[in-house]
Amino acid sequence: MSLKNILENWSNYRRDREAGGHHEYEHMWGMAIDLNKCIGCNACAVACYAENNLAIVGKEKMTKKQGMHWMRIERYWGEPDLDKLSQSSSQYQEHGANFLPMMCQQCNAATCEPVCPVAATFHTPDGLNAQVYNRCIGSRYCSNNCPYRLRYFNFYSYYESSWPAPLHLQLNPDLSVRDKGVMEKCTFCIQRIRVAKDKARMEDRVEKEAAVIKVGDSTFRAAAGRGKLEDMEFQTACQQTCPTGAIVFGDMLNPESQVRKLWDGHQVSLGKTKQTKQNPEKRGYRVFEALNTDPCVMYMERVREV
Amino acid sequence: MSGNEINRRDFLKVMGWSGAGVALAGCDMPTTVTLEEGKEKVTSYVLPEEYVIPGVGVYYASTCQQCPAGCGIHGRVREGRFLKVEGNPDAPLNHGKVCQMGQAGVQGHYNPDRITKPLIRKGGALVEASWDEAMDLIKQNVGAESTLKGERFAWVTGTVSGHQAVLLQSHLDAMGSTNHFAHEIVNNAVSQAVNREMLGEAQPAYRIDEARLIVSFGADLLGASQSPVHFTTQYAKFREAPRGVLVQVESKMTLTGANADLWLAVRPGTEGVLALGLANALLVKHKRDAADLPADVRDVIAKYDHDTVQRITGVAGDRIVKVAAWLNSQSPSLVLAGGSAEGQAHGYDTAAAVMLLNIILGNIGRTIVSSGDLPFAQMEAKSGNTAGLLALADTLDKGGLDAVFVYNTNPVYTAPSHLNLAEKLSAVPFKVVFAQFPDETAMRADVVLPIHSPYEDWGTHVAGYYGNQISIQQPLMEPLNPTTRGFGDLLLGMLKMRGVAGYADFEDYYGYIRQAVAALPAEMKADAGSEDKYWQQVLQRGLIPVQRKPRSLTAKAIAVSLPDYAQDSEYPYHLVPSPRLGMWDGRYANIPWLQEAPDQISKVVWDSWAEMHPLTAQKLGVMEGDVIKITSDQGAIEAAVYIYKGIHPDAIAVPLGQGHEKEFSRYAKDRGVNPLKILSPVREAKTGELALYGTRVKLAKAGRNEALVKLGGTDQQMGRKLVATVTADVFRRTEGGQDVA
Amino acid sequence: MNAGRGIVWSWALFLPLAVFLLLMMSSAQVYAEVPNAVPPKGDHKGEDVPQPIEFPHDIHAKINEINCMYCHTYARRSKVAGIPPTSKCMGCHSVIATDKPRIQKLTEYWEKREPPPWNKVHDVPDYVHFTHEKHLKRFVFDNEELPVERVSEVCAFCHGEVKNMTVAHKVKPLTMGFCVRCHEANKGPSDCWKCHK
Repeated sequence: MSLKNILENWSNYRRDREAGGHHEYEHMWGMAIDLNKCIGCNACAVACYAENNLAIVGKEKMTKKQGMHWMRIERYWGEPDLDKLSQSSSQYQEHGANFLPMMCQQCNAATCEPVCPVAATFHTPDGLNAQVYNRCIGSRYCSNNCPYRLRYFNFYSYYESSWPAPLHLQLNPDLSVRDKGVMEKCTFCIQRIRVAKDKARMEDRVEKEAAVIKVGDSTFRAAAGRGKLEDMEFQTACQQTCPTGAIVFGDMLNPESQVRKLWDGHQVSLGKTKQTKQNPEKRGYRVFEALNTDPCVMYMERVREV
Repeated sequence: MSGNEINRRDFLKVMGWSGAGVALAGCDMPTTVTLEEGKEKVTSYVLPEEYVIPGVGVYYASTCQQCPAGCGIHGRVREGRFLKVEGNPDAPLNHGKVCQMGQAGVQGHYNPDRITKPLIRKGGALVEASWDEAMDLIKQNVGAESTLKGERFAWVTGTVSGHQAVLLQSHLDAMGSTNHFAHEIVNNAVSQAVNREMLGEAQPAYRIDEARLIVSFGADLLGASQSPVHFTTQYAKFREAPRGVLVQVESKMTLTGANADLWLAVRPGTEGVLALGLANALLVKHKRDAADLPADVRDVIAKYDHDTVQRITGVAGDRIVKVAAWLNSQSPSLVLAGGSAEGQAHGYDTAAAVMLLNIILGNIGRTIVSSGDLPFAQMEAKSGNTAGLLALADTLDKGGLDAVFVYNTNPVYTAPSHLNLAEKLSAVPFKVVFAQFPDETAMRADVVLPIHSPYEDWGTHVAGYYGNQISIQQPLMEPLNPTTRGFGDLLLGMLKMRGVAGYADFEDYYGYIRQAVAALPAEMKADAGSEDKYWQQVLQRGLIPVQRKPRSLTAKAIAVSLPDYAQDSEYPYHLVPSPRLGMWDGRYANIPWLQEAPDQISKVVWDSWAEMHPLTAQKLGVMEGDVIKITSDQGAIEAAVYIYKGIHPDAIAVPLGQGHEKEFSRYAKDRGVNPLKILSPVREAKTGELALYGTRVKLAKAGRNEALVKLGGTDQQMGRKLVATVTADVFRRTEGGQDVA
Repeated sequence: MNAGRGIVWSWALFLPLAVFLLLMMSSAQVYAEVPNAVPPKGDHKGEDVPQPIEFPHDIHAKINEINCMYCHTYARRSKVAGIPPTSKCMGCHSVIATDKPRIQKLTEYWEKREPPPWNKVHDVPDYVHFTHEKHLKRFVFDNEELPVERVSEVCAFCHGEVKNMTVAHKVKPLTMGFCVRCHEANKGPSDCWKCHK
């Protein structure tokens, strides 16, 4: 956000979502997670540790809920919907567990962004909720304001305790190791996005024209010169390892992308607090949508035979 | 400024000016930010590496060695460092996918507690030594000049296959020994024995993806199984529209159970009774054709009517009726036995009862098909089991061994106390352990040889399940420690040491594998052009597809005999020592990512715990985190309880993984308990396997609370739409398959 | 405020400033020739960085007119420019100038199969994502008016006139302000996550 930019484009920064968002978008990265397929195996979470230099905090700090799991599998036992259907108030957990892979939802109306006193978290032209570590002063307002509780604060310096030599040789050089006092969270593997975008740019794969793209009921102004990436040209670490293929990731601005087709197919739209589905039986939903966070992650309901 | 009208927007602009100005000034001052000159070294290549561009990751194909499944992997390498594991999309076994243990392999490779120098026992303690010293000792004790008699030598390994198995067998032959004890805690040896008798093939392939209904009796397909990722990728297809139904029968919820449509808690050890009960319902209620079944089989099935089965298993009658109806209507189906069903004194009969269901339902040849025979039989996996462990203990009992070589297994940790294995092993005069880590077995060796990590070594593998390829393991980077050596190289050295003919010409194991690939039949290389090109192709793909020769499976029904359920007034509960994806059998307690990765079911991290049903907790008067003492006839362990409804009230489950000795790892030290230690000496009657789930225990309050460290807060959704569930009817209406259902 | 005094003060400030600006412009004339580019502004007086071999950039790049990318071959293909492998040095120096002490030292390294332990002169912090390839593409390969032979003028944006140096010195600040001002002038991206990783 440079000076000249501020002066010339001031009004753009104040533009509402209804007016096409506050950016000339390059991409709008989104995700769809099928809970019919997710088995809660945890492969995604460990892949995330490996890819994103996540620190190990140890048992004592896990007691204080200071774990740095950007991607975590939540497990719930209660299943009110099914109990009603099968009238089973059995003494057993008869329908198994309810697993929910939970990571930063990359909200388009992120509650973390407006409360950051130093603009360390902001929305990028990729539709991502960015976190700039150098800028972060550790106020933790953002994590207090996040309804999903998926921002993780470095209460300590972990680079010595978490990666004793030679474990540090595993660290991914494509992203920083965060130090004490900094907030961090899932980035949708920004380092992989960056490599793919750089590659597209190097190969002159760019969209020459600006465009206005409708995604569900939302409209986005897409910038000229944005990279033209193939769907599945790259994957996030969690998606790549997921043994059931439950995680689908891609560009919502690309009408041919798998993720966009899933959102459209499940009649879930961006920019809403309540979906108006033609077929209300479609499984897509967004967690805490009613809070008007406008998340870019759609889940598809778990299925059980009863 | 007075007198100037200034509107709000202009004011903001001015603020922007000064704010930006300050920011820019701040950014220009190279003070706290490390903008260094000459502080860091930059190293160039001496010779440029082909394919390698600094700053760009390169991927090399190899084979995962984290469990015996043998998934194909791609290792990401940058500037000579191996950074991450991804699945190899060309591997038909795992379709580019990896589990959490595969992901975490990189932390084994860079583990700070790796053994890097040879160790020799001197005056009771292991001390660092040179390779020459270590090899001299080995030569003295087991070399061609030694007085060692053949049968007094043994290899103790985990599952081995491929050319390592070939060389290992050659070494045994050269030594004149037949003692190869292959040991794994996670195995399906009992099912294999049953399959051999009833189907004529020990390890047929299960077509999970083809089944419309799977009823699994304790088989943790998605978790601790023969090939977790392979089964999981098939499961994903199984769950696509029209969506198959999964029923899991077990006494402690496994990962597979957690994903079941219907999870049935069965009284521990009565899985076979339920299987026969279902067979009974199919024959009697659903009038399935039983003409092909021998009379004695029909007689056994006839005994298990609805009420008897309900009484013995404790499964509600309507659930039995429902599963029987599903089995009758959903075709093809697949019924499997595993883990907790097999690990009983009557495990063989239980697995046979389950296989009877497949025969009645006509699943043989449909969802259970032949895996066939590998054209290179000597490379076939020698799968570990617990009979191998017991045979080792028996041989040691008889004082039958003078020298033992151990590779890729840790029997001192996994052996129950009643086997006294540590003591017996210590009595063997010469023990060599090929080790990466100072585990319990290595710490009792006379010589410890530090071996390469799997990511530094050459090897070939044939998976024990779905071995439709020879998987290539190639080094992803230079050895991290110049003083470790490859296992294959060492084996080759041992063969040369014995002067075995035919091995002298190979400079190293790489040379041996190259020659072996060169010796493959020419028709396998038809499209490659030249030998060198074929080798490059093999390295790029990471595997050599092979055509297995299919057999025709038999469907031989056998009469089984199952005990009635017996109460035990002194030890009323059943111990379930559960392996899981993550810690596996305890070998990954030294990997911090896996310690911090929560258990899928209880979400506990960094510790042991005991799973208990709320009714049992009520009876004992304990709450979550209260420590209980679990006592068998072999000893006692203590753990804090986790209370939930995914376990039978008669069962108490303690996961495997913790309770290691302090030398093993800084991450496993002083952590939790090892439930294997208190197993009773119960054997599976027909196979001689250790009955892992056959131990009875009693429970007592220890009188203290140690809050469980778990991921997340509440177990309940509290009316929030976090995980919403729909019924399969809705799914089929909107996503297809309604007509099929 | 007294207006007259204000004027006097500003003249007093302006004169040396004008002289300074003129000097700056004359010294910056070399860069000004790069078409379709506004060179970044800012200077830095770098410390002496001793190297295992005093590598004379001037002999290579100025006298012998070797293109920068001949040795720093990764610059157009990667985020890093790369130090040439020793084999590349020896490609020439197994026959050229073999009597010179520096080359003899190089040959020693080569024979030991060890790369010389070079010290980094230009280093951006670990949290910065900077890619050489995209900058070269923007200023050289996509710049029809700049023949690739003149790539050193673009390199000079951030590395100074290396061809006039023996061992390279850091002569540009390479701070965020330095980067951002250049991005503004040349319409580079301004999103934080483009460069902060």
